[in-house]
Amino acid sequence: MSTAVVDRLTELWETPHTTRGWFSTVDHKSLGKRYLATAMVFLLLGGLEALAMRLQLARSDQRLLTPETYDQIFTMHSITMIFWYAQPILSGFSIYLIPLMIGARDLAFPRANSFSYYAFLLSGVFLYCSIFLGQAPHAGWFAYPPYTDALYSPGYGMDFYALALLFFTISSTVGAINLIVTIFRFRAPGMAISKMPLLAYSTLTMSFSSVFAMPSLAAGCVFLELQRRWGFHFYDVAQGGQPLLWQQLFWFFGHPWVYIIFLPATGMISMLLPTFSRRPIVGYPYVALATVMTGVVGFGVWVHHMFAVGMSHMSMSFFSAASMTISIFSAVQVFAWIATLWKGRPVLTASMHFALGFLALLVIGGLDGIVTAIIPVDWQVTDTYWVVSHLHYVLVGTNMIPVFAAFYYWLPKMTGRMMSETLGKWSFWVMFIGFNMAFFPMHIEGLQGMPRRVYTYPPGLGVDGMNFTSTVGAFILGVGIAISLFNFFRSLHPVTGRIAGHNPWNADTLEWSTDSPPAPYGSVHLPTVRSRHPLWDDHDEEFDPDDRRVFAEDRLTIATTWLDAEPVAVALIPEDTLVPLILTVVMGLLFGALLLAKLWFALATVIVCLALMAVWMWPRHERVPA
Amino acid sequence: MSTLITETPAETTPTQLSLDQERGHFGIWLFVGSEVFLFLMLFFSYFFLAFGDWRWLREEPPKLTLAFIMLAVLLTSSVVLRWGEKQVERAKFAQGRAALAVTILLGIAFLVLSFFEYREHLKEVTPWSNAYGSIFYTITTFHVAHLVLGLCMLAFVLALPRIGVTRRPPHRAYSDVALYWHFVDVVWVFIVGILYVLPNLR
Repeated sequence: MSTAVVDRLTELWETPHTTRGWFSTVDHKSLGKRYLATAMVFLLLGGLEALAMRLQLARSDQRLLTPETYDQIFTMHSITMIFWYAQPILSGFSIYLIPLMIGARDLAFPRANSFSYYAFLLSGVFLYCSIFLGQAPHAGWFAYPPYTDALYSPGYGMDFYALALLFFTISSTVGAINLIVTIFRFRAPGMAISKMPLLAYSTLTMSFSSVFAMPSLAAGCVFLELQRRWGFHFYDVAQGGQPLLWQQLFWFFGHPWVYIIFLPATGMISMLLPTFSRRPIVGYPYVALATVMTGVVGFGVWVHHMFAVGMSHMSMSFFSAASMTISIFSAVQVFAWIATLWKGRPVLTASMHFALGFLALLVIGGLDGIVTAIIPVDWQVTDTYWVVSHLHYVLVGTNMIPVFAAFYYWLPKMTGRMMSETLGKWSFWVMFIGFNMAFFPMHIEGLQGMPRRVYTYPPGLGVDGMNFTSTVGAFILGVGIAISLFNFFRSLHPVTGRIAGHNPWNADTLEWSTDSPPAPYGSVHLPTVRSRHPLWDDHDEEFDPDDRRVFAEDRLTIATTWLDAEPVAVALIPEDTLVPLILTVVMGLLFGALLLAKLWFALATVIVCLALMAVWMWPRHERVPA
Repeated sequence: MSTLITETPAETTPTQLSLDQERGHFGIWLFVGSEVFLFLMLFFSYFFLAFGDWRWLREEPPKLTLAFIMLAVLLTSSVVLRWGEKQVERAKFAQGRAALAVTILLGIAFLVLSFFEYREHLKEVTPWSNAYGSIFYTITTFHVAHLVLGLCMLAFVLALPRIGVTRRPPHRAYSDVALYWHFVDVVWVFIVGILYVLPNLR
């Protein structure tokens, strides 16, 4: 390969190292890293809020936080973790890894990628503005009316909630569409749908769920805001409204969302667990189908969040059965992983520690989830700490722990340097012990009837010791996360971070054939694929003696058919642009105007948004058609 | 190691490949899919509120005449735009642009008609009077907002220097926007059926 071609590719694909370049880049690697970093900041914010709550609950009758502050903190904790951490961190991995993994040079819509990142960032900033007004949302992450009506929740708190979530749904929908089209259109020639990496399957499922579930949340939030600020009636019984309408809309979105933040994490485990077991995953088609089916059936279980509202036995039985069906698909995946470990020769790296910890926590969280799906038990434990315990086992266990496994696995690819394995294992054990100390006692507290969302409890109920243990555990969990953060920053230093090289784990998928960190254009020769494990088979992915797959004429990548991945076209990738950033800033102003009920200003920002979209889509450098 | 070796003709010469024009169309389909779910949720809310409150039976059902005229206007616009798509496929761009202009005019006619329809309907029920008014005006206003967005998109395509196969994005802008416009029209069909005709049937 001549250096002239490499120089040409670099010139085409590299973003200039200037301030303008930083803001205008559409490179999926830059934006993916920003997604990850921003989501980590939200994780730390949510974590600090959790620690504040645990301090308040450490002993009975504490007065560290007022009830109002406590309500705001637990609500901000839940919204931050569920919306601005759990899904964006997985999007970050997908946006960074999927193009490399399928052998493309960028996402299908790179400018939309920039838009969805900035919209995600600004919607989070918008939400956190509420803290500076002292009026953060305070009604829990599911914000049930009538409590969230203007009458019972005056002030801006719930308006921040509704508008920030609307802003977030826009970002999330655009991001999901982008990933779907990328996976269906940009897979390397030969990477038929039956040879696609499992992370692509879970990203695809999660993205389809997002596209179809987000509108439900958006509709609910629009109704809420219209009722609160503009005198409409959707949720108030006096004028013919139905408080349950919110619950239906919210949970029709809410349960698919649970799988949106669970499935990509299982996809990441399906990638790294076989690598560290030194063998292909057992039952690839079953794992792939189980992933897709979880997403599909996930749309039919939302009512299990509402067993306690009073419904017919028929509908409750149906949704109870549907909920238990889901566990079949999860079990397929779990048994595939166990069989992979069984048949392989596992290497206990730090990443593998997290993966095994995930398996343990998934089984505990899954089992107490099945218990919760049984209606009489649900009536007993709903709104108690049992549910808090269950949801943290499934959310921390199946999102945060796999995310750390993925960090230890893929960060060497992103930074080019290895993290310390010893520190990683320490971090895992500290986190694992801290987590179980913090959340296992909550099962028992819940069975004893301790209600959630209450800022304190009287002494002598027999829960003081368990609450104190939980608080200590929460801090230990925090220390475990801090060890990993330290490990990360330590690895960036040239003395303490070993050079990673192309493929430090001897893994099987295409992202490991690029440099670490990858060049702006990915691979010089766009790869072709013959098997599910491109780097483990005999086929040389980048074998291209005549330089026919270099595509150095312009910013190009190969487009293929969606099933068999036969090459059908070359796709032109747009250049860097500032328009998506400007558009999101104006949209931020729009949501600010809606918050303050300034209708004319809002209308003006809408017109500016439309004009910016026209500028965005306007063809640049129109030349003779190819 | 279980590696599946297939006979994929992977080493195709790239010079044989044309420039991809399909990504945007795929994206628009997904966007429309998301919008379909938005309106499904709105119609679901309409029925959910209706079944929860039998006072709706005493509401005067909306009048049908204007709604049907508006339906005729939109369906005509869809037919015209479909014809325009066919012309663009045959590289008859002047006819395509004429079809766009006619569609835009019909869309504006719809907006004018909906102004009169709202003025008539507001005499009986307002968004603030009860849950029925709120959901009725929310659904119809959502539709009008989508229609205005569709009009902006049509105007954008009309202004584009080229609407055939293009080297730079947007590719296939004409058929992308047409797809969105057909979707907006189909939503009105359901609005007429559910919000206008159904209450008159009982």
